[in-house]
Amino acid sequence: MAAVTAAQPRSSKTESYVDNKRKEDIRQANINAARSVADAVRTSLGPKGMDKMISTASGEVIITNDGATILNKMEVLQPAAKMLVELSKSQDAAAGDGTTTVVVIAGALLKQCLSLLSHGIHPTVISDSLHKASTKAVDVLTAMAVPLELSDRESLIKSASTSLNSKVVSQYSTLLAPLAVDSVLSVVDPAKPDMVDLRDIKIVKKLGGTVDDTQLIKGLVFDKKASHAAGGPTRMENAKIAVIQFQISPPKTDIEQSIVVSDYTQMDRILKEERNYILGMIKKIKATGCNVLLIQKSILRDAVTDLSLHYLAKAKIMVIKDVERDDIEFITKTLNCLPIANIEHFRAEKLGHADLVEEVSIGDAKIVKVTGIKDMGRTTTVLVRGSNQLVIDEAERSLHDALCVVRCLVSKRFLIAGGGAPEIELSRQLGAWSKVLHGMEGYCVRSFAEALEVIPYTLAENAGLNPIAIVTELRNRHAQGEINAGINVRKGQITNILEENVVQPLLVSTSAITLATECVRMILKIDDIVNVR
Amino acid sequence: MAIEKILKDDASEEKGERARMASFVGAIAITDLVKTTLGPKGMDKILQSTGRGHGVTVTNDGATILKSLHIDNPAAKVLIDISKVQDDEVGDGTTSVVVLAGELLREAEKLVAAKIHPMTIISGYRMAAECARNALLQRVVDNKENAEKFKSDLMKIAMTTLSSKILSQDKEHFAQLAVDAVMRLKGSTNLEAIQIIKKPGGSLMDSFLDEGFILDKKIGLGQPKRIENAKILVANTAMDTDKVKIYGARVRVDSMSKVAEIEGAEKEKMREKVQKIIAHGINCFVNRQLIYNFPEELFADAGVLAIEHADFDGIERLALVTGGEIASTFDNPESVKIGHCKLIEEIMIGEDKLIHFSGVEMGQACTIVLRGASHHVLDEAERSLHDALCVLSQTVNDTRVLLGGGWPEMVMAKEVDELARKTPGKKSHAIEAFSRALVAIPTIIADNAGLDSADLVAQLRAAHHKEGCNAGIDVISGSVGDMAELGISESFKVKQAVLLSATEAAEMILRVDEIITCAPRQREDRM
Repeated sequence: MAAVTAAQPRSSKTESYVDNKRKEDIRQANINAARSVADAVRTSLGPKGMDKMISTASGEVIITNDGATILNKMEVLQPAAKMLVELSKSQDAAAGDGTTTVVVIAGALLKQCLSLLSHGIHPTVISDSLHKASTKAVDVLTAMAVPLELSDRESLIKSASTSLNSKVVSQYSTLLAPLAVDSVLSVVDPAKPDMVDLRDIKIVKKLGGTVDDTQLIKGLVFDKKASHAAGGPTRMENAKIAVIQFQISPPKTDIEQSIVVSDYTQMDRILKEERNYILGMIKKIKATGCNVLLIQKSILRDAVTDLSLHYLAKAKIMVIKDVERDDIEFITKTLNCLPIANIEHFRAEKLGHADLVEEVSIGDAKIVKVTGIKDMGRTTTVLVRGSNQLVIDEAERSLHDALCVVRCLVSKRFLIAGGGAPEIELSRQLGAWSKVLHGMEGYCVRSFAEALEVIPYTLAENAGLNPIAIVTELRNRHAQGEINAGINVRKGQITNILEENVVQPLLVSTSAITLATECVRMILKIDDIVNVR
Repeated sequence: MAIEKILKDDASEEKGERARMASFVGAIAITDLVKTTLGPKGMDKILQSTGRGHGVTVTNDGATILKSLHIDNPAAKVLIDISKVQDDEVGDGTTSVVVLAGELLREAEKLVAAKIHPMTIISGYRMAAECARNALLQRVVDNKENAEKFKSDLMKIAMTTLSSKILSQDKEHFAQLAVDAVMRLKGSTNLEAIQIIKKPGGSLMDSFLDEGFILDKKIGLGQPKRIENAKILVANTAMDTDKVKIYGARVRVDSMSKVAEIEGAEKEKMREKVQKIIAHGINCFVNRQLIYNFPEELFADAGVLAIEHADFDGIERLALVTGGEIASTFDNPESVKIGHCKLIEEIMIGEDKLIHFSGVEMGQACTIVLRGASHHVLDEAERSLHDALCVLSQTVNDTRVLLGGGWPEMVMAKEVDELARKTPGKKSHAIEAFSRALVAIPTIIADNAGLDSADLVAQLRAAHHKEGCNAGIDVISGSVGDMAELGISESFKVKQAVLLSATEAAEMILRVDEIITCAPRQREDRM
C-alpha cells in the first residue's frame, strides 16, 4: 500500500487508457445492453412505481412489480444484460427485497462508468475505485443504522409495510405486514436466534375472496379436500394423525407378476382375498387409534382404491390423499410425528395429535385445516386469498418479499430509513470523501456518489414529483445535518422519514450496494465476447 | 505428363512458404486473443456458448478461454494444447505460455523473412532457452529450511497468482485460505482432499475454509441431526429393491394372497439388507443411490443417519477423507472398511442446509466454501482459487521461488543477450530474437495496465543492467519497483514450465513446412 501513495502524483500521467477500437465497442455494447435492462425496470421502483405486464411464451400473463420476477421472465440474450438479471436474482437470494433497487443502482453506475471511460480512465482503475467506494458506503450505512430488538414488534411491522407499500397489494399492508412479522417470529428457533429458514413458512394460495381474507393459520392447511368417495368423515375432533408412505391397495410386487385364473371359483376367491387383505391393513391402522390418514402420492401404484376408501370410511377414518413427497418433511415437522413407511411399523407413538381436523369450504373450493396441534413444530402456514390468479400470485410474491425483509432483520438487527434518505446521505458523504482522495480515484468515487442519487431521483419521478427540485432540496436538507430526511411519497414532500415510519432493513441496502458494485466491476473488466461451443 | 492425383478429393495440401505463413498467422491470432488477459490489470472475456442454452461464462483464465474456442488452424491447436498441459502440470501460467510461444513465433517470422533457415532459428532458440533456464536457476531463492519464511513465500505466490483474477480485491483473504488448505495437505499434491463448494449469496469476503467435509445433501426424515464419533459406511447400492435383472422375469401366481406374500418377501429382503448394513456397527450410512421411504424409516428406527443420493464425486471424496471404502455388498462386515469422523451435524450456509463432517480421519481434508454474488462470480472464483491451489501445492514440493512482475523475463533476457553477443554466426540473430520475445511479456503486462510500455521496459532494462537487481513492473503505481519489497513472487516451477513448453511448441510449429488437410469424413446426410 505504501507504494500506492508514493506513486500517486505520477498516476495521472501513466494511468491513461489507450486501447483499440474493437474493445471499446464491446464494452460500450455491454454497458448499453445492461443499461437498457435497468431502464426497463426503473419505473417500477418505489411506492408509486408502476407494474409490468409480462406475457410469457406459453401465453400466461403475469402482472408484477417485483424486479426479480420481471427480469426473470424477460429472457434476455445479451450476456451483459444476463448478468444484470443474475444480479437481481442474487439480491433476491441475499435479502429478498430491493431487487429493483439493485438493478437501478447498477444501471446508474454503468452510466457513470461510460463517461469515465470516455475520459480515458483505465477500466481497472474505475473498478478498484468503485470497490473502495462501496466499502466506504457500507460503513456509512452501518453508521446511520438504528439497532432493533426482536421484541419491538412495531418496528418490524413498519419495515415489512415499507416493502409492501410498493406492491399491488399495498392497500392491504396493514394486514399483511403484521402477518409476515408474526409468521417469521413464530418459526425462529430460540437455539439459533439469527437463523430463519423460510421453508418453514408455507404459503397456500386459494382463489376466491379478497386479499383481505388472507390469514395466518397456526397449524396446517392442505389445498385439497378430504376423500369423499365413500362418504368418509370430513371433520374430526381429537385427531390422531398418521402420515403414511405406503399404499392401501392390492399388493403389487416389484417383479412383474400375473395372477393366473383358471376357473370361475378362483375369481371369487381372489376378490375376497383382496378385500381381506385391505381390511387387515385397515384393522391394524384402526387398532392404534388413528383417525386421520395423510397418504403420500405414489407413482408406482394407486395410493388408495375405492375399495380401501370405502373401508376407511366405515372405520371412521378421515383420508387426505396425494400428499407430495416434498411436503412430507414439512408436515411431519409441524405435526411432530414420524412418517410411516410400512404397515408393520404402524404404532401409536408415531402419530401426531391435533384438536381439530376439518374440511372447510371457501368459495366453491374446499381445504382441510388442521388446528390445535399438540407439540407443534416451529412452522406456520399462511393462506393467501385473492379475487383472481394474478392478484394471488402477486400477493404471494409481495408476501415473500415482506417475509424476507423480516428475516433480514432477524439475522442482522439494524434498521435504516427508507425513502431515498440513505442514498442521498451516502452520496453526500462519499462526495465529501472523494475530495480528500488523490488522482483518478477521487474522480471515480465522485461519480459513484452521483450515481447513487438515481434512487431518490427515480422515486420522485415515479411519484410524479419534480425530481430535480426534490433531489436538490434533499441534498440541502442533508447538508444541514438532517440525515433522515427523505421523500415522503404520500405527502409529496420531504420529511423526516424515520418519523413517518418508512424503514427498511440495513441488510437490504448494504447488499444492494455491494452486489451492484460487484456486478458493474465485472462488466467493466470484460473486453471481448468470444463465441464458443 | 499429367501429375497423378495423390490425395483424396477434398483433401488439401499447403507447402513451404504458404504452410509456414498459415501456422504463424494462426498462432499469432491466438496469442493476440488471450494477450489482454495477462497480468494484474488484464481484462476478462465473455465466453458465449453457441450451443444449447447460450450459457455465459466470464473468465480471465487463459486455459478456460482457449479450451472453449472453435479452432481450425493446426498451429493454433498446438498452442491450445500447451496451455492445457500447463494447466494440468502446474495449474498456472496458462496465458503466459501461449503468449511467449506466440511472441517467439512472431520473432521467428521476421527471421524467416530475412532468409534465415528455420533449423538455424530452432537451434538458436534451444541455446537461448537453455541459457535462460540457467539464468533463472542461479537466481532462485529456496527457503525450504526456514518454515516461517517459506510460509510467507507461499503467501506471496498465492497473492501474485490471485492478483490477476477476480479475487484480486480480497486476495489476502483468499491467499490465506489457499495457503492454509495447501499446508494441511502436508506435501501431497492430491488436491482431491480440498473440496470447493459454491453457494450463491453473500460476498466473496464471506468465503471460508472449514476443516472436514461438507456434503450438499439432506438428512433423512426422523433421523438424528447430529452424531458424535460417527462410524460411516459409504455405499453404492440400490436401496429400492434388489430387482431380478433378467428380462422378462415374472412371477405367476394364482391368488391375491400369494402376491401379498411376495410383496412381503420383497420387503423382508429389504429389511434384511438394512439389518446387515446396521450390523456393521455404523451410525451413519451414505448411499449414492436413492433410499426409499421404507428403508429410510428402518434406518430412522435404528437411529442411523442415512443420506441418500450423494453424487459420485461426493461419495468418493467422502470415502477418501473418512478413510472408508465404498461398499456395495454387505455380507462380510469385517472386510468392509468403515470411515470415521468426530462429528456430523447439519449446518446452514446461506439459505441451504448442508451436512458437515468434522474431525475426519484424513487430517488433510478440508473444504473451502465460496460465497459470491452470482454464479459467474463463483465459477470464476473457483477457477482462480484452483489455480492458486495448484501453484501452491507444486511449490510445496519444489520450494524454489522467483520474483514476479516481469523480473524473471528481464533476468533471462539479459543473459540471453550476453549469449547472443558471444555466439558467432547466424544463430546469434535467433538468440537475440528470443530475448526480444521474453521482453514482450513485461511489455504486454504494462500495455494491459494502460502504462507507457516502451518507457517502462527501457527503464527496467536499464535497472537490470546492475548486478543483483530486483526491479520489475509495479503495475499499481505504474513504475519500476523493487519486487522483493512489494512481495511479488512466482514459483520457479511455473516459470520453468512456461519457458520450456513455449520454446518446444514454437520449435514444433517452426519445423512445419507442409500442412496436409485430410478429407473430412463423409457424414450421411440425414436431414
